[in-house]
Amino acid sequence: MKSQTVQELVKKVFGDEKTKRQFMSNPDSVLARFALTEQEKRAVLKTHAKLGLVTSNSQQLEAAIDPTAIWHAPIP
Amino acid sequence: MWQERQAELLRGEIEALLAPLSDASGLCALGKEPLAKASRGLAAESARQRPWPLLPLIVCEAISGHYEHALPAAAALQLLKAAAEVFDDIEDADSSASLSTRYGSAVAINVATTLLILAEKSITRLKIRGVEDYLIVRVMEAVNSAYATACAGQHLDLSLASQIAVSEDIYLRVAYMKSASTVECACHVGALLAAANQELIDTFALFGHNLGMASQIANDIQGITHGSDIVKHKITLPVIYALTHTDGETHHQLKLKFVKPSESVPDTAQIRDLLFRSGAIHYATIKMEYYKQRALDILSEAERAGGSVERLKLFLA
Repeated sequence: MKSQTVQELVKKVFGDEKTKRQFMSNPDSVLARFALTEQEKRAVLKTHAKLGLVTSNSQQLEAAIDPTAIWHAPIP
Repeated sequence: MWQERQAELLRGEIEALLAPLSDASGLCALGKEPLAKASRGLAAESARQRPWPLLPLIVCEAISGHYEHALPAAAALQLLKAAAEVFDDIEDADSSASLSTRYGSAVAINVATTLLILAEKSITRLKIRGVEDYLIVRVMEAVNSAYATACAGQHLDLSLASQIAVSEDIYLRVAYMKSASTVECACHVGALLAAANQELIDTFALFGHNLGMASQIANDIQGITHGSDIVKHKITLPVIYALTHTDGETHHQLKLKFVKPSESVPDTAQIRDLLFRSGAIHYATIKMEYYKQRALDILSEAERAGGSVERLKLFLA
């Protein structure tokens, strides 16, 4: 994953009100400005579809995370 | 349901391994404790909701249509996870419910060591299930290699704990080594015991790798939402993002909490709020989803190669 591009996207969406509004109403139009891979695009859109912008804790966020987190048991 | 059936058989396998300990005053009961925790092999919860202990069995069945002969390997992985949890509690010394807190380190170390030995013993029980010697050796090699990687990852994590300049690359490396490698191992072992060809074994191992990465990131997001990693000043993916992509007062507050803890340190709720508002949790959530998307693509590949992968999609919901 070219993390830098996704980082730039998130920084722009969270740091610029105009971009945030565009992203909320039409995420594809914002994504088109960033050179994301297909898997990255799907990850962004899936997150958006499930949770919108993740700006605070919610039951939806917990529900999205919990089943995936459950394997983890740290090595000492 | 198939999950309940597999979970019941796995519980039976683990119970059979623990049974000889029942003469040693309380050791059997203590050994069962970490195995009975949520999503572990002896958990009472519904396997439908928490099928993680079944992962090697599901992979094995996806390829070969059978899984019973893989039960000792699945049991071994549960015993290793349980041992790791006991050791982890001894190191962290931050849980009032842990074996080490309640019975002392000596007892806890002995319980964990017993679980490690039983894990090795469990793998040898593959022979009883009719698995050929060369395959048993390959399973042992896969399990020992994965857990050696996990221990090395833990060492790296401990070594980095005091360093402030942890980058995302280093975070991802540690996440793979100490955690995702064990999920990869579960899938690898399941595919090995299905007698799959090497290409298919590698495909399922890669699925496990990506599933494990998603799982570790999900765990680190929970570390923020539940506050535990904030309290411990633990630098995980959301914090790395926030420290790199914020400035001004937000950056200052985060540094006070994670880099230069002082008496004027911001409280946990305040830090959590900063991490949400900076987009750090959103970024980590996308990253988790990215690994899930990769895992899904790999499952499609496995399906084209003849695998029956529907049940594995449960882990990517």
